[in-house]
Amino acid sequence: MSALTVTFVEEDGTVKTLGAETGQSLMQAGKDAGVAGILADCSGACACATCHVYVDDAWADIVGGPNPIEAEMLDMVADVLKENSRLSCQIRLTPELDGLKVTVAPLG
Amino acid sequence: MNVTNSPGVCPVTGKSAELLTKISLVDPDISAHPNAYYDAMREADPVHYDEKLHMYLVSRFEDIQTIQRDPITYSVKHGYEAQYSAGFFEEFKDILERDGGGYFPDAIMSDPPYHTRIRGLMDKAFTAHRVRELEPLITDIVVDVIGGLPASGPVDIVKAFSVPITIRVICAQLGVAQYNADKIQRWSAAVTAQIGRMQDRDKMIENAREICELQHFLIEHVKDRQEHPREDMISDLVHARIDGADEPTLTFKEVVSLVRALMIAGNDTTATAMTNLFYLLGTRPELAGLLGRSAGDDRAMSRFVEELLRVEPPVRGLSRMTTKEVELGGKILPAGAHLLLMYASANDQPEVFPCPRDFDMERSNLGRHVSFGGGPHKCIGLSLARMEIRVAAREVAKRLANIKLEVSAEEIPYLKSVATHTIEHLPVSYTKL
Repeated sequence: MSALTVTFVEEDGTVKTLGAETGQSLMQAGKDAGVAGILADCSGACACATCHVYVDDAWADIVGGPNPIEAEMLDMVADVLKENSRLSCQIRLTPELDGLKVTVAPLG
Repeated sequence: MNVTNSPGVCPVTGKSAELLTKISLVDPDISAHPNAYYDAMREADPVHYDEKLHMYLVSRFEDIQTIQRDPITYSVKHGYEAQYSAGFFEEFKDILERDGGGYFPDAIMSDPPYHTRIRGLMDKAFTAHRVRELEPLITDIVVDVIGGLPASGPVDIVKAFSVPITIRVICAQLGVAQYNADKIQRWSAAVTAQIGRMQDRDKMIENAREICELQHFLIEHVKDRQEHPREDMISDLVHARIDGADEPTLTFKEVVSLVRALMIAGNDTTATAMTNLFYLLGTRPELAGLLGRSAGDDRAMSRFVEELLRVEPPVRGLSRMTTKEVELGGKILPAGAHLLLMYASANDQPEVFPCPRDFDMERSNLGRHVSFGGGPHKCIGLSLARMEIRVAAREVAKRLANIKLEVSAEEIPYLKSVATHTIEHLPVSYTKL
């Protein structure tokens, strides 16, 4: 377990930089810190789209794209979908993601 | 891929405030075909006090969202308890304690922080990725059930298709190998009737006896898994553990209540969704082509299933109770107000889902429907339900054609319940491909 730093930009522009642990999901880090808009209704089961984030351009390649099941869930919120959309419950934090920055997507 | 009732025109539904003063959700005709009633409520009185039910019916999408996002002000625990075996609760509880191995309150129908602990101990069993691994097993079950159907019908699709599939899937998941499907269906009806608000005392006693039998059946399995863990959901719950937590495991009472909830809750509602598939294919024949074109495409099937759930949600209404005075939808509610969340009404709100009675699987906000609820109480079995319905729909598209209802839509019998909107029997004819 090592400490990382990740940054969420909330829908109203508030920037929240917080500590997280490797092995945690980005969703869990955001939810624990009370980031607005990271609701995670399905508790990280990849079965809703209430932890939807846009990955900052600089991090897009390192984070990668959605897995197939995640892509199906993201398709359900096509009205707020972007190319850099991910469900934060599906982003497992690793040392390479230290400094990761994402923007919280609107709930639609 | 937009199927309208009358092409080019959004169908107009009946809206009348007069409807609200004269009738109640418990009136059988309204209960069976409630959409016009919901429209009237959203229009004229969105948080409507139903005099017969003594509950506020919450009909607008945004108010339901507000409630779901605030589980402290709007208590599931108190709402559920007020609903449970309403009018007969003490007698019901006595019967279960005397003859049913104990009274096991539903651990999942609770409030944070207790609910957060219970949910955390259950979650691992239900991830979408774990459920995806079940697709071959579910496919085998669906194919086998379709294979056993007579050549052309008519059959009661509830009894011949929907119920046997969902019972076989959930029993396989729980690790229950020997069972009587008719009994499980009776147990399901008895449990769900406890929040349906439409049972009399005689029926309550009959239902309590069924639940006693169910509990003895489940207790035997739970005790077995305590000694002999296996690869199944009962074992997962018996041995679930969160290291470092104050109470790292579930108690025996909690496990029994959760196994009961898993066996019943997912079973009944998922079966209803499958029946609704036939209902829609029978009442909107143009959907057969749409389903046929979607069957080979995962994205399309996932959208088809989601729109099916939006248009015909199996769960009609679950309850909450206010824990303080609060304003909702322009009305001041006192502490202790008993609410019923009308999911089908929220799914029918035209500002959120334009032309809501159209079956339009290309809606850009399809995932916003509330058929699985929302917030921390969102349905835990939603991935399994979606998978079962998807496989059922896909195999129906591949194996059955010319699906027709053998009754008119007005003749279809619906279960008397405020909790679910359940078709009891649906005679259907078809040809096998």
